Amino acid sequence: MAESFDIVIVGGGHNGLVAATYLARGGRRVLVLEKRSTVGGPVTTEEFVPGFRGPTGASVCGRLRPELLEDLDLAKRGVQFIPAEPEVVAVGDSQVLRIFRNVPKTQAELARFSQKDADTYPRFVEFLSRFAAALDPILAMPPPDLASPSLGELTGLLGRALRFRRLGKHAMQQMLRLPPMAIRDFLNEWFETELLKASYAVDALTGTFEGPWSPGTAFGLVPQFLPDGHGARSAFVRGGLGSLSNALAHAARDAGATIRTDAEVVHIKSADGRVTGVELAGGETIGARAVASNADPKRTFLHLVDPEELSPEFLLHIRNFEMNGVVAKVNFALAGPPNLPAAGDGVPPHFRVCPSLEYIERAYDDAKYGQASGKPVLDVFVPTVVDPDLAPPGMHVMSTQVQYAPYALRRGGWDTEREKLADRVVTILADHIPGFERLVLDRQILTPLDLEARFGLTEGHIYHGEMTLDQSLFLRPVPGWSRYRTPIDGLYLCGSGAHPGGGITGAPGLNAAREILKDWPRRGR
Amino acid sequence: MAQRYDAIVIGGGHNGLVTAAYLARAGKKVVVLERRHVLGGAAVTEELYPGFKFTVCSYVCSLLRPQIIRDLDLPSHGFEVIPQESSFTPLPDGRYLFYHGSEEDTFQAVAKFSRRDAEAMPRFGRLMARMAKFIAPTLTMTPPDVGSLNPSELRKLLALNKQVKTLTEDELYTFARLMTMSAADYLDEWFETDVVKASLCSSGIIGTLLGPRSPGTAYVLMHHYMGEIDGAYRSWGYVRGGMGMVSEAIARAARQFGAETRVNAEVRRILVRNGRAIGVELASGEKLYAKVIASGADPKRTFLKLIEKSELPADFVRGIENFKIEGSSGKVNLALKEAPSFSCLPGNGVHLRGAISLGPSVDYIEKAYDDAKYGDYSHRPYVDMCVPSTLDPTLAPPGKHIMSCFIQYAPYSLRKGTWEERREEFGETVLDTIEEYIPSIRNIILHRQFLSPWDLEQMIGLTGGNIFHGELTPDQLLFLRPTPGWAQYRMPLKGLYLCGSGAHPGGGVMGAPGLNAAREILRDWALLRV
Repeated sequence: MAESFDIVIVGGGHNGLVAATYLARGGRRVLVLEKRSTVGGPVTTEEFVPGFRGPTGASVCGRLRPELLEDLDLAKRGVQFIPAEPEVVAVGDSQVLRIFRNVPKTQAELARFSQKDADTYPRFVEFLSRFAAALDPILAMPPPDLASPSLGELTGLLGRALRFRRLGKHAMQQMLRLPPMAIRDFLNEWFETELLKASYAVDALTGTFEGPWSPGTAFGLVPQFLPDGHGARSAFVRGGLGSLSNALAHAARDAGATIRTDAEVVHIKSADGRVTGVELAGGETIGARAVASNADPKRTFLHLVDPEELSPEFLLHIRNFEMNGVVAKVNFALAGPPNLPAAGDGVPPHFRVCPSLEYIERAYDDAKYGQASGKPVLDVFVPTVVDPDLAPPGMHVMSTQVQYAPYALRRGGWDTEREKLADRVVTILADHIPGFERLVLDRQILTPLDLEARFGLTEGHIYHGEMTLDQSLFLRPVPGWSRYRTPIDGLYLCGSGAHPGGGITGAPGLNAAREILKDWPRRGR
Repeated sequence: MAQRYDAIVIGGGHNGLVTAAYLARAGKKVVVLERRHVLGGAAVTEELYPGFKFTVCSYVCSLLRPQIIRDLDLPSHGFEVIPQESSFTPLPDGRYLFYHGSEEDTFQAVAKFSRRDAEAMPRFGRLMARMAKFIAPTLTMTPPDVGSLNPSELRKLLALNKQVKTLTEDELYTFARLMTMSAADYLDEWFETDVVKASLCSSGIIGTLLGPRSPGTAYVLMHHYMGEIDGAYRSWGYVRGGMGMVSEAIARAARQFGAETRVNAEVRRILVRNGRAIGVELASGEKLYAKVIASGADPKRTFLKLIEKSELPADFVRGIENFKIEGSSGKVNLALKEAPSFSCLPGNGVHLRGAISLGPSVDYIEKAYDDAKYGDYSHRPYVDMCVPSTLDPTLAPPGKHIMSCFIQYAPYSLRKGTWEERREEFGETVLDTIEEYIPSIRNIILHRQFLSPWDLEQMIGLTGGNIFHGELTPDQLLFLRPTPGWAQYRMPLKGLYLCGSGAHPGGGVMGAPGLNAAREILRDWALLRV
């Protein structure tokens, strides 16, 4: 074998880069191998139309672990978060509702719809914030080892339980009730304003193959209220999300890690149940004592690893791991500002077409039977409002996240469906943005098939697998293998397919690095 | 003149009767007050037409706790189960899935569709039975008060934990997945044949306003296997004389122990003084007093209709208001002049004696659910059908039959019109569906009864027409049923208890809520807390 490293990280996505940094800081020789020419995977900025740079993957940064911001000096490395203001504008058939980061401002807006809801709103935010804060430590640690929890783990768990209890018996019971509920039922207990409920449902359901009526979807709302470093539930990044990935790569290199791009791993080599290294396209092999895969579980175990190294039960579980992505993107290069008169002057940087819970559920119904939604839910981002340099002066980038666009279509295929879906998106947007069609200079369509081909996201799933309760915590990605380790000694998962799942948190990478370092003293040779 | 008792049971449903029987057995002076002219609630047999005994609401028995059957010696009071040993799912194309009796027979039947599925079936059944075995003891446990730091509550939590420890790691994961997955997704992992999956997942949606693709429905799959592990009372079965005989047998046992039962005695309100439930007032104005008032009515009826809101804590009222109790089912009961004949398997065969499902695919059932989500009854409904008279001749004159059809979905809240206006149309839609499989059905009907959720509410007193006294979803089960903090049968007013399906472990003809409530009442009595 050519070179040899302590740890090879397969895939230079944001989690892989975070893992690389902490492993390097832990004194290990780390190599990150990225298939594409740029790092970051779907956390990236690309020139999708000449002169127009936009998000071909994620449009905003979600809840990046606060400790990473400081620890990795991201501000110094050029990361500037720009919160959307208003946070989001929910667009209905004839009305819009602006939701601000500032609670009193949102209350004033809500009062136009319902005074009762305006009065309730702060309690809603407080309840979810407290819940998220109590949950936070659980996301920052590996899931418990159900088989034989260590004494330390048990005390830790007890501590977490007591932390919930300290919120008060009533609050704790309300929190225990929440996870299995449907987001619709949960929101109906608090509010009557349909646009408000629909917008929060979109938050809970983004990237998920469920609808507002589905039990278990209420839980998707809680992580939205996690404390994060940039103080906003979602924020743009100056220069697009590529700036974040570049900064993470910068930090990794500073720590001593090596990053190679245009280096596609085609095989994770192992012998006798132990990892030995990787092989690249072209035949180059690199030895390593450990390999951390930033690829999703299906790609890792069904394409990169030798199947003989895995038991039939494990393989069955991986095959049954629910992926089937439902997100498509349509990026527009616009000749001028896409005004939304109903929302007042100017262009809102983030708005969504979600008139009601029923609208979302019907969009989901279509997908259940293997079709792209006839009337899709649109989550629309206009980064140029806060970051004009992404397009020529006066022009704009509009990035639309479309649900539901199921990877697996029953009739026809994405080749024929892609343009039809994009046309439906344009029709809907034209309803709210005067002259929209004339504004469009060009468009880029990314179906789940395209996301798979471009970023290696199996079945186009943006979170490396459904984040529903049955695939969370000690069940992610597979029962018994939720602590970053895999059946192959020395092989780890460090991406969103591991706890706590997707969203741009960096938590899987951080947790995986800790576990790898924990295991290191026992790693022979 | 006021009547004084030790305990008053509101509602003569099977759970209330169980509570009454156990209290009477312990020497208490008990009276059961039933609004209708007949006891039983939704476990009732009514001779609606001479010679035809309709099992009006519930139609099969399996989950009645063996402990109750033994303690109350129900067989001596006429309780007898006739096993329902087959499952028949006809398909529109003339094929059918039909298995009965032995594992070998089931194998052959499923192998007609897929050998792989035939091989998987016994493994699946064994796993479900293991899960059911784990759940069964929890049915007769009082849920712990989670969040309480009281030592006796922590002991209960430890007991529950001990129960959890009986599972292997694999079984624990399976349980967690069953609680969170949809029946369809879980079955997709085991089987490839749509009709096999459809026939199994229908048990996942009975009585709920959820579809086979709704997360959490996989859990109910194991309930189907609960009966298999209760020893002598194995599979699902018919009760000789209809489900009313369950209630009647329990009532006889209760009377034998000295309990009184009164029909045509509607409780109008619960009498409260100084934060204590002291008695009830009937619709007639008659007042009865007792130390203990146990309500077998559902939580919404009990706390929002029979008691002034001002007497109850505000949080508790809010919790009860949020309690989901939308009914999702209807019933079509038919008196037939002869045995029905399926076009795919004509004649009065063995297949008529067991469970019959008109739900040929998972998508069919899911689409039926979609209609209900948007406030309409299913235009192509799922029908869970049985002809108990094929095994129990006491239900109909010789050669004639009664057919019980449980229908999903029929949502209590309709967007257009009312159930009174649309009941006929609904019933005709059901008959249209049945006609697709039994072409002669309309020609052989002597009498018909269409029951919408609204009718179930009016007739039986089930709020929302919900057959389980509230959805059986995890957010309303165990220590959360009917509302957090009040899951141990004691209610916010001293002396007031909940003993019906609105309490743990929920609905189905189990008798468990009634048993558990009685136990808690007697414990309180012994500790002079009453």
